[in-house]
Amino acid sequence: MYKKIIRNDILQSKLITITTVIFVTAAAMLVSLAAIVAVNLYGALDTLMTKAQTPHFMQMHAGEIDIERLTSFAQQHSNVEEFQVVEFLNLDGSQFTFGERSLASSVQDNGLSVQSRSFDYLLDLDGQVIQAADGEVYVPVGYMKDNVVKVGDRAVISGKEFTVAGFLRDSTMNSSLSASKRFLVSSNDYAHIKSQGHPEYLIEFRLKDLAELGAFETAYANAGLEMNGPTVTYALFRMMNAISDGMMVGVILLVSFLVVAIAFLCIRFTLLAKIEEDYREIGVMKAIGLRISDIKKIYLAKYAAIAAAGSILGFALSFVFKGLLLENIRLFMGESDHTALAYVLAIIGILLVFIAIVIYVNGVLKRFRHISAAEAIRFGSLQEKHTGARRITLSGSRLLNTNVFLGMKDVLSRKKLYATMLAVLVLSSFIMIVPQNLYNTISSKSFIGYMGIGSYDLRMQLSGNVDNFSEKVADITRAVQSDQAISQFAVLTTKTFRVKLRDGTEENIKIELGDHSIFPIAYTKGKAPAAENDIALSTLYADDMGYEVGDSMTLVMGDVEKKLIVSGIYSDITNGGKTAKAVFSDQSAGTMWSIVSAKLYDPALVAVKVKEYSETFDYTKTSDIDEYVKQTFGSTISAVKTASYVAIVVAIAITLLISMLFIRMLVAKDRYSIAVMNAFGYTSTDVKVQFISRSIFILIIGVLLGTILANTLGELLAGLVISSFGASTFEFTIDPISAYLLSPLLMAITVIIATLIGVAHVGHIKISNHIKE
Amino acid sequence: MKKIIVGDSLVKCFGEGIEKRNVLDGVSVEVNEGEFVAVMGPSGSGKSTLMFALSGMDTIDGGKTVFDGKDISKISADELSEIRRTAMGFVFQQPTMLKHLNILDNIILPSMRDQRKHTASIVKKARALMNRVGIAELEQRDITQVSGGQLQRAGICRALMNSPKIIFGDEPTGALNSKSAQEIMDIFTEINNDGTAVMLVTHDALVAARTERVMFMRDGKVVSVLKLPRFTGLNMDDRVESITQRMREVGI
Repeated sequence: MYKKIIRNDILQSKLITITTVIFVTAAAMLVSLAAIVAVNLYGALDTLMTKAQTPHFMQMHAGEIDIERLTSFAQQHSNVEEFQVVEFLNLDGSQFTFGERSLASSVQDNGLSVQSRSFDYLLDLDGQVIQAADGEVYVPVGYMKDNVVKVGDRAVISGKEFTVAGFLRDSTMNSSLSASKRFLVSSNDYAHIKSQGHPEYLIEFRLKDLAELGAFETAYANAGLEMNGPTVTYALFRMMNAISDGMMVGVILLVSFLVVAIAFLCIRFTLLAKIEEDYREIGVMKAIGLRISDIKKIYLAKYAAIAAAGSILGFALSFVFKGLLLENIRLFMGESDHTALAYVLAIIGILLVFIAIVIYVNGVLKRFRHISAAEAIRFGSLQEKHTGARRITLSGSRLLNTNVFLGMKDVLSRKKLYATMLAVLVLSSFIMIVPQNLYNTISSKSFIGYMGIGSYDLRMQLSGNVDNFSEKVADITRAVQSDQAISQFAVLTTKTFRVKLRDGTEENIKIELGDHSIFPIAYTKGKAPAAENDIALSTLYADDMGYEVGDSMTLVMGDVEKKLIVSGIYSDITNGGKTAKAVFSDQSAGTMWSIVSAKLYDPALVAVKVKEYSETFDYTKTSDIDEYVKQTFGSTISAVKTASYVAIVVAIAITLLISMLFIRMLVAKDRYSIAVMNAFGYTSTDVKVQFISRSIFILIIGVLLGTILANTLGELLAGLVISSFGASTFEFTIDPISAYLLSPLLMAITVIIATLIGVAHVGHIKISNHIKE
Repeated sequence: MKKIIVGDSLVKCFGEGIEKRNVLDGVSVEVNEGEFVAVMGPSGSGKSTLMFALSGMDTIDGGKTVFDGKDISKISADELSEIRRTAMGFVFQQPTMLKHLNILDNIILPSMRDQRKHTASIVKKARALMNRVGIAELEQRDITQVSGGQLQRAGICRALMNSPKIIFGDEPTGALNSKSAQEIMDIFTEINNDGTAVMLVTHDALVAARTERVMFMRDGKVVSVLKLPRFTGLNMDDRVESITQRMREVGI
């Protein structure tokens, strides 16, 4: 019997049934995809890091190195399983040419390496350890994705010719968040080029017990060993590799929640309208003694069938689309071993969606309890309570046109009914505004302030291990100072100091010294260091050490201790996120690097200036700050941009569809009052105007609420996304024309179109059918 | 005397194929200015359909309707709406009121379509009408807070708001008890005495007895017409008797 009822019912309301199935399908597909991507990401990353034997602790170091001292430290430390020092020959980007293309504009620290001896292997795309022959170069897989290089290309590196033999996966430096990129060559070729670059060292350890990593880090730092460069641990490697795809999983999950919510709304008003339509039958069923649970079953069966169809379809579709989402993971990390687990989790996720729908439908059907059999048979329709708005009367208000008044009054009288459409409009404006605000925010000039970068046009970075460092910095400074095109500049020098911790132990800290007021960054708490004894810490550093603004900390400078007060805390994503800024002058400690940053009077000249300075000072790494940001975050920014366009399309589609279905339902529900209006001389155009007034009235409230929500809750949610870039607090940068004018206008046009489609058949309502006795 | 409405050979079909039947089968009727007529007939005889066809609330499949000298069977739905709004009044068996408007707003609704600027004078007129039919104190009530008789009086006020040339009543007393029904008929009589034509569709000989011409319908045709002297409050029993006599003669 159920089968027959379901079939008839579905045939009667094809459009709405299809819509509901589509939303359930989309929700099931997204949940399934999120599960598949998450498990594959975890699996592939695990496989990569196991095969490559990623170091547990890696200290990058530029400058002199004492291998013997390091070896003896490794031998003496009981937790060290394996130890090695890998050389990384840092070459300027311009030294790399592939075919016609040079890497001169690359902001990555590109360099050469040979295959590691005992761990931290560079793997080919089949997951095998590569052995490069003479004349062969293997290129980081990231360049394959950017289509810069193809296998078989001719390459020239520092004047020597190579053939691109393949691509490599580097478990430590794959991520675009990692600044360095290793190109693999044979030992002979490496030896040949070595004299032309600055070798840096990767001091790597694998530990017996990874849980004791913290103790090992302290021991390494306390041993006073080489540490002129960032320190990276196993967990950070994992995080850097996982972040972009992990974020994708998060976004997919978020979207699937929204889709489930929309499916719920869709079901809600379809079901309510259906109950309205079947009111008399339900009353009769009740009157002849059917139990509520029996009646409920008939309706539940239909939605269980819809949910089941959607779930199966969604699961099938997730197989179609998974390739697309797994592409990046497969390229950077390879295959996962956990395929079966992915499907099990996907099915569990889909089951959850299915169960949620059934529970929801069951909840909506609870109102059967309140249907009085007598009332249902007598009136044949739900006797709605017209609450509120009693004081607003046609006779008492003189301002509005009668049709507009009637539209608004209807909304106010039946708030509960219109809540559904309101919710959809709030959600749609939210979906529409948040991604574009997020895009505007992260693409705005001021956002880089949240990333620890000031607002300047170009930066010149000079590594501390070049000869005559101080003189070279002075040369650049003089040149910048006398350059008429430059309006402002700052010289910031990063040095390593020893800091005395609260428990008495000492640790290394990198402090950027100079005037931080010239190109200020955004401070989460407090302010930039200004006085001699001020120091500002990055969020990551302050959190790690438990420092707050106003706390004091002690630097050990030779025999002297220097007391500093924490003046501010800022977000930073540069240099592993652990940085500090101060203004005091110091001649003692070893310089790691200096950055000369400059702002131009005419920012359009930046390309010319970058070229000019990189030619004049070929020992510096000169880059356009926009280019720097673009290369570091370009793919993320463009992904968010795409997402924001997709969000607009999705929001419009949802608004159009749901509003149209809602209005159609409403016309069906209000056919009697429409007939009455017509009988008394209101034209179908009048009725249409009334419906449009209802829609626009809800639209205004919806867009207002949606915008408020987008700027509060949305900012909070976007904050979670942004915090993954290292920025801790932020405010939306809003494009008012787009967010407050174009988006609402687009919504309004959509809603009006949806309403016009929904009321298209109002003229066909026969007065005689509804009024005749 | 000038004819306010003329239905000439009206045809209206329902159903399709072999189930197709003519609910109006070439009916011709006319109502003069200020006349008070009734249409009687058994269920399914086509009397309500005739009223919907004459007022342009339903389309016709044949014949033509002339209202106030103008052929309204070929004009647009919007023009028809305007005529209904400005020159016709309607009272139905069930109170056709909008649920979320109070009594006063329901009454003024048709007038507010065009004369929003004159709200004050419209409200004033509505109050006068409500006063006349005895529901002055109910203007702020919801439609669920008054009795059927009171609601029907409100319906009459609404029909009178635009000073129509004719009022159509489709079983206006059908849902009322006999006392309320008589009171409503008193009001209709009074309206007619003021010069407005009234056409009532009814089953009830007591209602028809108030009018001056009764048309009897059967199977989509007018089968007989009975003329009565204008009602003065006297001879009610005789009037009823002659109507029931005619009903027996034509077999309805």
